[in-house]
Amino acid sequence: MALTETASPETRPDSDPSGADPTDSEQSSGLVSATTAAPANSIDAVLGSGDHKTIGRLWIGFGSLFLTAGIVMSLVAQLELVDLDSFAIAKDQDQLTQIWSIGRDLTLFGGIVPILVGIATFLVPLQVGAASIAFARGAAAAFWSWLVGSGILILSYIMNGGPGGGRFDYVILWILALGVVVVSLLWALICVATTVLGARATGMSLEDVPATTWGFFVFAIGSLLALPVLLAELVLAYLDTKYGFLPTQADRTVLVSIANSVNLVPAIYWIAVPALGMLVDVISVHTKRTARSHKVILAVLALYGFVAYGAEMLSFAWRGRPIAFDNALLVAATLFAVVPVILVLALAGPSLGKGRAKLTTPLVAALASGLLLLAGSLAALLGLVDPFLGFIEELSGDRIDYSFDLFGTSFHEGIRALVLGSVILAIISGIHHWAIKIFGRSLDNRVGLLATIAVAGGAVLWGAANIVAAFLDQPALPELDSAPQSGVEILNVLSVIGAGLMAIAVGLLLLNLLAAVAGRVGSSAEPWRGLTLEWATASPPIAGNFEEPPIVSSPTPLAGNSEAQL
Amino acid sequence: MTAISVRETIPAQLTAAPPARPRLLLIGTALASAATIMLMSGLLGIYLKTRADVIATGEQWLPSGVVIPLTQPNMMAVTLVLSILIMVWAVGSIGRDDRPNTYIALGLVLVMGVAYIAQTAFLLSLMDLGAADDSKAPLIYAVIGTHLAIVGAAMLYVGVIALRTLAGNYGSKDREGVYGAALFWYVTVALYMAVWYAVYITK
Repeated sequence: MALTETASPETRPDSDPSGADPTDSEQSSGLVSATTAAPANSIDAVLGSGDHKTIGRLWIGFGSLFLTAGIVMSLVAQLELVDLDSFAIAKDQDQLTQIWSIGRDLTLFGGIVPILVGIATFLVPLQVGAASIAFARGAAAAFWSWLVGSGILILSYIMNGGPGGGRFDYVILWILALGVVVVSLLWALICVATTVLGARATGMSLEDVPATTWGFFVFAIGSLLALPVLLAELVLAYLDTKYGFLPTQADRTVLVSIANSVNLVPAIYWIAVPALGMLVDVISVHTKRTARSHKVILAVLALYGFVAYGAEMLSFAWRGRPIAFDNALLVAATLFAVVPVILVLALAGPSLGKGRAKLTTPLVAALASGLLLLAGSLAALLGLVDPFLGFIEELSGDRIDYSFDLFGTSFHEGIRALVLGSVILAIISGIHHWAIKIFGRSLDNRVGLLATIAVAGGAVLWGAANIVAAFLDQPALPELDSAPQSGVEILNVLSVIGAGLMAIAVGLLLLNLLAAVAGRVGSSAEPWRGLTLEWATASPPIAGNFEEPPIVSSPTPLAGNSEAQL
Repeated sequence: MTAISVRETIPAQLTAAPPARPRLLLIGTALASAATIMLMSGLLGIYLKTRADVIATGEQWLPSGVVIPLTQPNMMAVTLVLSILIMVWAVGSIGRDDRPNTYIALGLVLVMGVAYIAQTAFLLSLMDLGAADDSKAPLIYAVIGTHLAIVGAAMLYVGVIALRTLAGNYGSKDREGVYGAALFWYVTVALYMAVWYAVYITK
């Protein structure tokens, strides 16, 4: 029988940002809980907070804002492609490259990853039963430095910098800003991983942590091993550009390929690791039936992380070379990435059939997220046809007449759209699921369902249109002077509709968050309860998270509590 | 097998032992060290690949007129290896609550760090390789400069821990900070050995 020694949530006071001072031992161990002398709700309480809950909310809020901006910029770049014969929005090719590039930077490093870091910063300490995140002030510093770095990144584009930029100093500034953003994200992820490794509740072994926490742990460890390789590329790009060996405008593809390597298959799967973890927990709670084989799920998530991060490191260091048999590891990663997705869906899926499912936003978004990721992983296999035929050709010695070389085409853009859609759906699912904990109110379910449908539909349109356009030789980096094949323009219209739907959906998520924070939507009553530790405390959690340090003995510590699931 | 409730097996009058103190600083340092290793591995990987590509075309790797002397890199290696022994002295001293020796050892490690930076500056002046002179120069400077930055970060860490030790935060019962600083310093020295071989020895 599982046991927690936490008090009943109903007896807990509401969250108090000006909680008690930390003890000396807490300070020296890095486990400093929410402590500021400032009154609640003041600006000081936010700006100076070391509370992981406040920092998590800030990550999620600003991340959603930047994600909306990033997808809108991607939409603008897609809009320009509709009319391939002339420039309607951008002045020239360089400006189009900048619009395209800022869309990608903001979507990934400004939006998706920061929101995931925000959910991890908020949730992981609660799920492992810790009073706070490890190095709480470090976690706060990571957020503020990321925010400053992101602001400078946007500024560098505005001042005609970034890939395709015409002002040398601001191209340099873009490299530095991206470096600051990457270091800040690494810093935040060190705090998350340290919390999982060193601050778990008594009795909670590493194999007992919830799937969500495990997904974020794999995400953090993988990022710590992979993102420094991107940083190495940025150091080199900085020096090369500064001393004139990396032309910024004459050959814009070098800078683009450095920042873009993470967007290629299979490296792009790295952002899907925590999404899969969240999916498992959300399905379990909303079907009121825990997923089978907890340890197997953790092992599969780790395998997925291993595949994705291995590919990511290779992509960074190889500056986005094609998937070919001379880098067979990328081929293997693309192939095997399908297996963990299928396994996780297979293990979480029976909960749906045997449980009592309700059509809530978290469940619908989680299911759509899993299916979209599976679709993306399967579609990515098309990229293996070319290296496979090349391998056969090399073995047999006979020339095979084929044309499946998708590298440099919009193929990767299509897969990226499907994977991004999947992760955004997982984010919608997770934020709706834990909204009562994060904001103290649930979000509007109808708006959530609308956003879910828009993301799913948008990602399918955006992704499928780009994959098909790849076979008509549409380039990955938009080039307006290339002569398009017939049929591409209608595909680009579909792509624009898809990107537009996703922008609307992310905007809806942002509005839903703001309305919940303002108390305009949802309810403060808990809409559902889970079996993991975050559900053993008040909503939103009290300062220090738990009145007493919890003691657990199973992955579902609240399973013995008859009131665990409403 | 039936799981047994903790409530049923532990008598009520016994209080639970306090949980083991988490070694968060050491864990965090280990993770940061792993990231640092990957940063240098990435740079060295790009360096060695580029160098191999250049040599494969029949060109020389180092620009003509540029000479890397061996004396300074070897002295830098000896300096850093010596600093490891001194760091071991610091860790042992704090374990015995021998604060004077801890302060001396941590101070000497910082002196070794300063000596390494000074020797690197001297070596670069001897090499006489202008960053804008040749397309290979930024790559060489990226590797050497990044390692210098890592040494700077490690010295900052050792300095902060030395001050905290001076303030009485660490002793025989809590050596975590000194352990953490020592771990990061060891990694820094190990990374220099990779730079020493890849850049200075193989040239």
